[in-house]
Amino acid sequence: MKPQIRSYLVALPALMLALSAHAHSPDKHMKAAQASAPDCSMMEDMDHSKMNMNDPVMQAMMKKCMQTMHKNEGDLHDDKSDATKHAAHQH
Amino acid sequence: MAFFKILSCFKCLVAAVSVAVVTGVGFLFSGFYPMGADDHHNDLTYWALETLRERSIARAANNIQVPNDLDSSERLLAGGADYNDMCAGCHLKPGVNQSDFTLGLYPEPPNLTRPENFQDDDTVEMLARQRFWIIKHGIKASGMPAWGAGHDDERIWNMVAFLQRLPELSSPQYQILTVRDADAPVHH
Repeated sequence: MKPQIRSYLVALPALMLALSAHAHSPDKHMKAAQASAPDCSMMEDMDHSKMNMNDPVMQAMMKKCMQTMHKNEGDLHDDKSDATKHAAHQH
Repeated sequence: MAFFKILSCFKCLVAAVSVAVVTGVGFLFSGFYPMGADDHHNDLTYWALETLRERSIARAANNIQVPNDLDSSERLLAGGADYNDMCAGCHLKPGVNQSDFTLGLYPEPPNLTRPENFQDDDTVEMLARQRFWIIKHGIKASGMPAWGAGHDDERIWNMVAFLQRLPELSSPQYQILTVRDADAPVHH
């Protein structure tokens, strides 16, 4: 057997083993990696008349969600501008 | 006669202390003391170490000045992301009751999502001072690092502010408050 083939035979199972190795709860790690934006859906469902707006926790949540909402609107606006520019350029 | 009696007693005392020191040093070098984190201390050793730790932290944190704006939304937002990155693995978060760290570390890290049993302002302030000191300086041989080496006092107070409200947070609230802004510097 050629040394090159032999090294492939050793390296391939080692690579497969390395790829299959993962932390105890991969789903938790996946969730942690994906959670890069606040999930503000609970704020939408809440009864706004019952919210205590003097509570720092509520204020912080409002700030975070408003910030994200404005950012998303800004991204949407940028996308629309880019699309308009692109269409004008084609004409 | 009495003098000789005292001298004799003194010799006995010196001999007893010498034997105790030699035995103690011999035990240290013998390697018989179990050092594994899964082999727990006996009650007396645990009590002695816990008392030593609690008294030391209480004394060291006694004169720390607590900021007046600890209960502000800005501090909650700033401290939440750091808590999630640096602390939640050991001290848990709402909806999570254990982790590999809580199972493996000894002594087990306290679950900071559980509410404290006191309400009066003096105790709350004392706890804030002690938490600040612990986060900044860490605790020897416990797994708690000294975060003060890479974090300024304001950032540590933000984490203390978040800890004060953590037991009241639901999982969705925690998620919102701890997401780090995309343009903020990533920790570690």
